[in-house]
Parts: sequence; structure tokens; C-alpha cells
Amino acid sequence: MWLTSKIKQAIYVLTKGTVTLPYPFSPHPAPDTFRGAPHWDHHKCVGCGGCADHCSARCILIRDVCQEVRIMLYEGSRCTYCGRCADVCPEKAITTTTQFELATDSKEDITERLELFMLTCQRCGRCFDMETKNLIDKMELKGFKYDNLEARALIPVITEHFDMKTYQKTESFSRPKKVGE
Amino acid sequence: MDIAAIFINILVFLAFAPLFEGCVRKITAKIQSRQGPPVTQPYYDILKLLGKENLTKGNWGFTIAPMLALASILSAIAFLPVGNYVNALTEYADIITVIYLLTLGGVAVLLGALSSRNVYAGLGASREMITMMMVEPVLAITFIMGALKVQSLGVNVTITAILQNGYTWSAGLMVLVYLMALQAFVGRQPFDIAEAEVEILEGPFIEYSGPNLALFKYYLILKQMFYATVFVMVFIPVMKSGYYPVDILIQLACTSVVFVIIALLGSTNPRLRIDQAMRYYAVLIVLSLCAVGMSTFGI
Amino acid sequence: MLKKLAQKAFPRSLWLYHCNSGACNGCDIEILNVLTPFYDVERFGIKLVASPRHADVMLISGAVTRPTLPLVKKAFEAMPSPKLVFAIGSCATGGGCWFDTYNVTGGADKVVPVNYYIPGCPPRPEAIIYGVALALGLVDKKVAPVEMKQMEFPVDMYKMNKAWEDRNVIYKLLD
Repeated sequence: MWLTSKIKQAIYVLTKGTVTLPYPFSPHPAPDTFRGAPHWDHHKCVGCGGCADHCSARCILIRDVCQEVRIMLYEGSRCTYCGRCADVCPEKAITTTTQFELATDSKEDITERLELFMLTCQRCGRCFDMETKNLIDKMELKGFKYDNLEARALIPVITEHFDMKTYQKTESFSRPKKVGE
Repeated sequence: MDIAAIFINILVFLAFAPLFEGCVRKITAKIQSRQGPPVTQPYYDILKLLGKENLTKGNWGFTIAPMLALASILSAIAFLPVGNYVNALTEYADIITVIYLLTLGGVAVLLGALSSRNVYAGLGASREMITMMMVEPVLAITFIMGALKVQSLGVNVTITAILQNGYTWSAGLMVLVYLMALQAFVGRQPFDIAEAEVEILEGPFIEYSGPNLALFKYYLILKQMFYATVFVMVFIPVMKSGYYPVDILIQLACTSVVFVIIALLGSTNPRLRIDQAMRYYAVLIVLSLCAVGMSTFGI
Repeated sequence: MLKKLAQKAFPRSLWLYHCNSGACNGCDIEILNVLTPFYDVERFGIKLVASPRHADVMLISGAVTRPTLPLVKKAFEAMPSPKLVFAIGSCATGGGCWFDTYNVTGGADKVVPVNYYIPGCPPRPEAIIYGVALALGLVDKKVAPVEMKQMEFPVDMYKMNKAWEDRNVIYKLLD
């Protein structure tokens, strides 16, 4: 009958008690295979730029500041925690920690920055030169991900609202007819 | 003392109604195997809502509706002889006044919903209208049975009539019918259709915010406690000591038992559709008419 | 006096409105997970409401796509003040993988002012509860910017690149 089944349900549930985790007041760590925030080990990193190449959200930026210094910046605001950077690193310098408590009120808190010392060539005494002036060629270099405003201008512009001028520029675009034209 | 009893009535209801609502939420949480909100949670809810900005539509129906709802339920409470103490207003009212005041509260909800000019609010308002129309007869017949026994319509005599003249079969049937309609009166789970139905439709209160919503929430909580108290006063024989405060406490204790029943029924039942609910209410109305018929024959 | 009481009651009863602006529904499922008995968030007095007019906190999930852009703005304006906005998931904090594609505006902070970011793809329910507890003041922040150096470089170079400390030098030096 309807009433007895409801009474049985109530008694069964009440004997089980509550199952709530007392989470913020006592820690509840993630399992070991969980992919949390990545962490760089500056003792092992050689500055190859493989992680920047493979990042899904393009949030790892590499920049040569001067002759022997390379700076690598990881912006965690767009990171999708896919783990590709850790997979591809040849020196195993990136570990995916199990840290998931990343809530913050400003996006600068989840960044990691690495300043790397690059070795110089034995014959010419300079570092491997990534400073080509041509911005188009720069886009093919490892680790280059329009980390400056002029290069970003080469990437197609997106606007939030419909922009008539941008639309008209695309109307007058025509592909070159012959190779090398 | 009679006039002070009116204000004591209102104060007791205003102070204890959110506490009972908190108990209902806590029991619902325990049945769902979780640790629920603290028991004083509705107080925090209402205080927080009073502190928010009031975004109004500007027409008079929108602003008047919550105040009308709260005023109607408070005046219905002022007439009740809580704690078996007949206060100064009780002899000025009869049961028809009380029923009209409760219907006025429902009409205020409809006024607020329909002046929101929102499609969902209109849908919630039509369901609330159906529920109100089908469920008022049960409340009216509960009072009318008492009136038939005592041959008068005054509030104080009809409410205690069934208990004073002994339990009959018709009174027993009426207890069952009232318990089955109790969930519909308070707007809880099997018959949750109109009011708090924020999961399926937003209900009639969709455009309300801030203090107006606080008044409506208070109206719903007070309505719940009113119906539970009427059940206790009409049907449950409790011993009456002569002292007014002790009587109030005994009534509050019995009301809390009724609230436990409301919570248990509310958390173990699904929500019915409006046409299923209408068939259910039709059965209840027929049963209550049978009860009245039986009581005229003296059974 | 009533205002002070209302302000004290505000952190104890937050009502959430969940706004999905073009998400893959992963973050939405995690938000609903937070309301289940295992990770019960209702013990803080938090409830899910369906209308932005009743809500205090708007949870935005998903990178804000072009069709949902005016709707997110409308929902934000329909909330009565005082209000908070939480951006849940990587798509809402910065646009996720799609931050520069043709249909996506980017993170939620390009549309509405965001108070708290909860990154993750999708964030674990414990991470969302941690974000809520951080907003309520129950726990401290566990993340901070990390800077690592392989060796100490000469000091005058740092003085020349002083703007690097603001992380704007990456835009200035390529000219």
C-alpha cells in the first residue's frame, strides 16, 4: 500500500544517516592520477618550447628577453588541465600536481613564470637566435604564440558586435590567381 | 488583556513560523541523507531579502500584492483563539470571514502574478487558481461541521465544537480528509504545483525581488503555520490547563508534530501534475460532502 | 539598523542563479553535483533559484558565445544589488581553448564584472565548494603567482627590464 511503502522508505533512509563530506573543514585530497594544475621544475627545464607548442589553449608563452635569458610564462586562466605539456616535455620537468583548489579573485594568481639561462654555441658564442624580424617567419618558430600586439594584428580580428568595416574588408578580399603572385 | 492577546497571537505566529519552516527543511534534508541548512535558516533568508534592492514594474498591482497577502494572513491569525483564549476580535468574526481572508491571500498572489506580465507567472497563476478553488471547500466543510453541531457560526464555538461534542464517525472521516488535503493547503510536495515550483516553472513570484519577495515568503510560511494550528485546534484533544502561556506552548508542541508529518510527506512524495491533482481534489470534495451529510444524520 | 542585520545575514543565505552561456555542460553537471547529498552545499544556506530576480550570485559557465552575449548582460542587469558573479570553469575565466575563435567573446569578465574565478575543466565539486567557502571567508586562498629563476642575473639588466615585473615587457621588447 502507498503509506507502508513511504514509511519503509523513511525508516530505511533515516537509519543510513548523513553521507555529507565535511569538506572545507577537513581536507579531501584527489586521487593520485588526478590532473590538477601543472608545475614546472626549474632545475630540469631546458627551454625547448615544446610545452608552448602543444598547449591546447595556447596559454604558455615563451620570449627571449636578451642573449642568454628566456622567459616562459604560464597563464592558468585558460588552462584546460589536459596534461599535454607534461606528456611532451623531453626532460620531464612538468608535473601535473593534484592541486585543484585554485579559486581566486584575480586571474594573476594562477600564473607561473620561469626565467631560464640558455647556453651559448661553442663555435660562435651566441645563443640560438630566435629574433627574426619578419613576423610571418616568427609565427613558425617554436613557442611563438603572438605574444605581442603587433603579431596579434596578423591574426584575424574578431569583434564582439557586428562590425560593418571588418565585414566590408572581407568582401573585397580575393585570392591570388597564380602561385607566387 | 483581550486586546493584548491579539498582538500576542500575531507575535507568536511571526516569531515561530520561520522556525517551523526551518525544521521542515532540516527534516527534508535528513531524509535525503544530507546535512541540511541550520534550523534558523529562513530568518536569514528573510533578513537578506529585506536588504536587497527592490526592482519593481511600477504598476500598483505589483506593489500592493505582497502587502495585501501578508495583511490578509495576519488578520486571519488575529481572529484565531490561540491558546484557548478568546481575544477581543474573536466575537466580531465568524468562520466565513476567516475563509474569505484566506482566499484574499490567494487572490493577492494572483494579482501579483498577473501584473508581472510574464508568461511563466501567468501559467503559475492559473495553476494556483485551480488549486485554490478545489481546496477551499475542504477547509470550509471542516468549519461547517463544527457549525452544524453548535448551530452558530462564531469562530470560537465552531473551532472547539467537534472536540466538545465528542468524536463521531463523520469527525474521524473529516480528520482523514484534512490530513490528505494538508499538503495542498500548505503548498508542499505532492501539490507543490503553483508556489515554490522553481524547478519546473518559476511560479507566480518570478518578477519579485528584495523586500516584496520577503513579504511573499513570509506569507507562505505563515499560511503553513496557520493551517497546522487550525488542525491542532479543531481535531486534536489536548488537555487544557487554565494558564494562557502554558496553553500556547502546548499548542506549539502539537503544531510541531504536525510539521513533522508535513515534512515527511513532503520529502517522500513526487510532484503531481495539475490534472492528476484535480482528480485527487475532486475525490476529497466528495468525501468531505459525505462527512457533512453523515454529521447531519448524527452519525 | 535593519540594513546592518541584512548585511550580516547576506553571507549566510546566498541564492544562486546558474547561467550557461554556451558551455559544454561539463561545468553545469559539476554545479549540480555540488547540490547532491555527498558534497552538500545547502548546509551553508545556499539554494538554487530559477529566476535572476531572486538570486544573489550568478554562476556563469561557458565561454560567452556571440548569441548569448546580450542575454548574459540582461540576466546580470535583472539581478538586484548586492550581487556577486562567479565564473566557473576555464571557459568562463578566460575563454578556455576557444578564446580567440570566431564565435566566442572570451571569458565572462569581458561581459560582466566577475568577483571570483574557479578554474578547472571541469572544476571538481570540491573545487567549487572551496571557491564558495573562499567567498564566504571560511578559508584562505591557496594560490599565488610563482616565479622561478635558474640563476641570478646581473642587477642592471633587471633595472633595464623593470617593466617586466608588470609583465608588460613581453609586449614592449619586440619592436
